[in-house]
Amino acid sequence: MTALRVLRLVARRPTGAFGLVWLGLLTVGAVVSLFWTPFDPQRTDPGSAWLLPFTDGHVLGTDRIGHDQFSQLLVGARETLVVAVCSALVAAVVGLALGLVAALGPRWVGFSAVALIDILVAFPTLLLAMVLAAVYGSSLGTVVVAIGIGFGVAVARVARAEITAVRGTDYVLAARVGGAGTGRIIRRHLLPNIAPTLIVQLSLVMALAVLVEAALTYLGYGSAPSSPSWGGMLHEQQAHIAARPLLVIWPGLAVALTVLAFNLLGDALREATDPRLVRTR
Amino acid sequence: MTFWLLRRVALFAVSLLVASVLVFALLRLLPGDVAATIAGTDATPQRLAAIRAELGLDRSLPAQYGSWLAGVLRGDFGTSQLNGASVSAELGRKLSVTAPLVLGGALLAVLVALPFGVLAAVRNRTFVGTGISAVSQVGIAVPTLWLGLVLVLVFSVQLGALPAQGFPVDGWADPGSAVRSLVLPWVALGLTEGAVLLRFVRSAVLGVLHSDFLRTARAKGLTRGQALRAHGFRNAALPVVSVLGVQLATLIVGAVVVERVFTLPGVGSMLVVDVGNRDLVKVQGEVFLVVAAVLVISLLVDVAHRLIDPRLREVR
Amino acid sequence: MRPLLWIPAAVVALAATTVACGTGGDPGAPATTATQAATPPDDQLDLGATVDVRLILEPVSLNPFSTSGVAVDQLLLDNVYEGLVSADTADGDKIVPRLATSHEVSPDGLSYTFTLTPDAKFHDGSALTSADVVWSLQQQIAPGSKGLRAAEFASVAAVSAPDPTTVKVDLKQRDTFLLWNLTQRGGIVYKKDTDFATLDAKDNGSGPYTIANWNRGADITLARNDAYWGAKPKNAKVVLHYIPEPSAANNAQTTGQTDVQTAADATLLQPFTANPGFTILRGTTTDKFTLALNNKRAPFDNPDVRHAFRQAINKEDVIAAYGAGIPIGGPVPPQDPWYTDLTGTDAHNPEGAKALLAKAGHAGGLAVTLDVPNVYPRAIADVLVSNLKQVGVTLTVRQVEFPTWLTRVFTNHDYELSIVDHAEARDIGNYAKPDYYFGYDNKQVQADYAAARAAASDGERDELLRKVAKQASDDAATDWLFVNQTHTVVRTGVYGVPSAETTNRFPLSGIAVGK
Repeated sequence: MTALRVLRLVARRPTGAFGLVWLGLLTVGAVVSLFWTPFDPQRTDPGSAWLLPFTDGHVLGTDRIGHDQFSQLLVGARETLVVAVCSALVAAVVGLALGLVAALGPRWVGFSAVALIDILVAFPTLLLAMVLAAVYGSSLGTVVVAIGIGFGVAVARVARAEITAVRGTDYVLAARVGGAGTGRIIRRHLLPNIAPTLIVQLSLVMALAVLVEAALTYLGYGSAPSSPSWGGMLHEQQAHIAARPLLVIWPGLAVALTVLAFNLLGDALREATDPRLVRTR
Repeated sequence: MTFWLLRRVALFAVSLLVASVLVFALLRLLPGDVAATIAGTDATPQRLAAIRAELGLDRSLPAQYGSWLAGVLRGDFGTSQLNGASVSAELGRKLSVTAPLVLGGALLAVLVALPFGVLAAVRNRTFVGTGISAVSQVGIAVPTLWLGLVLVLVFSVQLGALPAQGFPVDGWADPGSAVRSLVLPWVALGLTEGAVLLRFVRSAVLGVLHSDFLRTARAKGLTRGQALRAHGFRNAALPVVSVLGVQLATLIVGAVVVERVFTLPGVGSMLVVDVGNRDLVKVQGEVFLVVAAVLVISLLVDVAHRLIDPRLREVR
Repeated sequence: MRPLLWIPAAVVALAATTVACGTGGDPGAPATTATQAATPPDDQLDLGATVDVRLILEPVSLNPFSTSGVAVDQLLLDNVYEGLVSADTADGDKIVPRLATSHEVSPDGLSYTFTLTPDAKFHDGSALTSADVVWSLQQQIAPGSKGLRAAEFASVAAVSAPDPTTVKVDLKQRDTFLLWNLTQRGGIVYKKDTDFATLDAKDNGSGPYTIANWNRGADITLARNDAYWGAKPKNAKVVLHYIPEPSAANNAQTTGQTDVQTAADATLLQPFTANPGFTILRGTTTDKFTLALNNKRAPFDNPDVRHAFRQAINKEDVIAAYGAGIPIGGPVPPQDPWYTDLTGTDAHNPEGAKALLAKAGHAGGLAVTLDVPNVYPRAIADVLVSNLKQVGVTLTVRQVEFPTWLTRVFTNHDYELSIVDHAEARDIGNYAKPDYYFGYDNKQVQADYAAARAAASDGERDELLRKVAKQASDDAATDWLFVNQTHTVVRTGVYGVPSAETTNRFPLSGIAVGK
């Protein structure tokens, strides 16, 4: 099944279509914000503080010190997408590596890898991120690494189970009898077979990464406070919730829609790539 | 079963030990130390050295680890390096907020997930079933912290019905006002975690509904409801129990955020403050407690699996 | 009908509902502050009342001899422990008698004679005599003293007690700061032979309160000392609740769990504004929010760059973001005797800043990093980012935890820019320490400061210190964003609450509750 065909199948479902459209819009917004935003998102101006939406060109209004909320959201999208994609990549690498070692390594290596996975899974991602941020300073890098490792071990569990299942199949045995080396078997047989499951897992990791990143920046363990982020906006506006409820609505809504988009995209991908599900519909 | 249990408990003990080493080692990497906090802007090298010696920070790391672990095994988490207060006592006081918060949230999640999850499965592909699924997707996507803020907006700011933040300064002395300040946090945790659980309940029940044994039961003449009650739920419970275990763990950590949103004086807030103060004895006690709780939960989940599923009992 | 399409619709609907509920109101309206009603006579007061007060920072220990942190002073000075003299925060830090009813200074300024009140008693019942005073001061001047403020008494040669109510302090050289230093922590009179380590468990001061209970991590209760030698407190008990979160503190105050909220967040005063249930007091502080520019490191080793940064930052914007404060332009707050208005030096001037940066060779822009402890509101750094961007400076803000700040910035001087609230009173001496983390090294300033300390009169001292302040400002040793103004919210029916410098010293005995 080619990538294009999967995409078409995904886009045909309302869930998949929503996911693609929202994430597409977000990507466009993030890219545009590299070159242009309605206002400088970092500009403060006591003269235009507390503006309501659609005043003086501020589409979503301004906060207490005059930050344009729409511009901040656009720039915040950049951070959200970068964190989602990068943590998924880290999770994929960590998950695959650990999964392969656990499933294919010698007995004691496999056993230790499984035990390690079990212990690391018990180490909550949010906690790991807080400790890492305290040690290495708050930055996007630590957030990405923490989320990537935290969810990577969960991916490793799934990957190990899948690899173990595929390893026992007839065609892998046949390839092995045919003299194929471990590297070749992994490349030609294992990876392609577990790819669909992995991709679905990673789309869920992206959804979780968006949630965790928002929580971390809200707690003050995320990116530098001078760069706009959705979690940071929630943090800043919370105190003034009674005076300007809209200001906490926008960033929260952006997080919710993005998480929803990644989750729905994951569901649509699963349905599109699972032959059993494709037949039943 | 006995052999299996022994093995599982041994694995648990080893995991706990490894976790304690990890926690201890990870925290030694923190820059700055509690001596700097104590000395503040009056710090001189002599004063810092004196404080370090007084706190035993000049001992070797293995020695510090050994005495800490020995204490933990006796249930003594040591004393705060900052003010000498007993960590166990403070943990106990903070747990009186966090434990009700987490357990109440989990209970609410189950109360939401079970009936609606079963309903969504039984009424699959009808208006009701799809509707429940859709709402649960939203529940999963909404960040707990934002739901908390929206609840504050509606029930505290608009209706003035419940306190927006804080916990009575005298704790549970007045249970009524303590409960009132926990209502919104419970709802925020319960709805978001309930939505996740709901989807697992739904797919577990769906799996059971399409299973051969249920078809057989129906063929014997049971109604669908009877068949589900007699055979279905026990089977559907397996994955749901695992997920619930994972979720309890998530809730314990998720409480950090919710406590922050509602400024509740719980273990989560304590952790954030202590990391800030570099009060490592306290931080390692708190982190270790959380990790231990998660490991205990996963042990209990595995045991529950054994008890529910007769097949697993026979295998070994 | 495609039911799954509701999902996003439902999210939007949820948001829309809450939006529809939004109140708006005018969040920008300034808080109305008032002066406190006079305390009624005693027969209209409930002298058995318990007063609940919100404070922010909890002390780490109750041993005032060697525990640092202003939380110790706020709790203990004049409440539990007393010195020979005290400072009246309500009257611009005027030095007033306390345990010493009077004092005399010899004409050469080298000898101070204090006359003690004969009635003072420690909490254990024993009488406070000149022997206790001599012993206490000797702990400060002893070689290798562990006293936190030992360095402040370097000028003291000897302390003696001619009779039980007289103390004589002899100096090696004149010291115009001696009396002030005696009002602070180093001047506390302990009972002779006190083991300071025991003070954590059992206080033994001479003040109007004793410590009744310490619920660590939550609150401290002070109880009236009925044997107090002076005017007895107008309340029976004070419970000090340590609530760091501003909104949680607001909640405690609105629900009546606290009677007094000190250091209320100036941007969150709406619930108390124009509310007959509360009075908002505004008071001076010594909290100088200081932007340190590492004088020893490029680009700030060039005075032009330092002046450029000062001129680029609009102090009014910073104050608006913080919510309260007054610009100072130098290291001295207005209530100090040697204050002089320096706001004209390096006034807001973006064009001038650009020219200075160009002159220093940074016409093409400049990138610097600001390390700021995460306890201060982000809005301050946000304004700096915005202001500096206008003159071509890209500012990266790093929020660090306080211990990290202490280690990295304060101790190791490893920073470019940093913001910290220098809360200590009368700390202009920091500009005369070349090893301080500012890295400011001006020999003339150091000489003038030393001369001020040994000046023949207070007037001469003040003149020299004004010179120090002006020079530090002319050299752009640091930048001064503002000096804070503190807001205290008082429940109606509560009287006599201190409103100035509440973080340094918070005398509780005048707080009264109406019947």
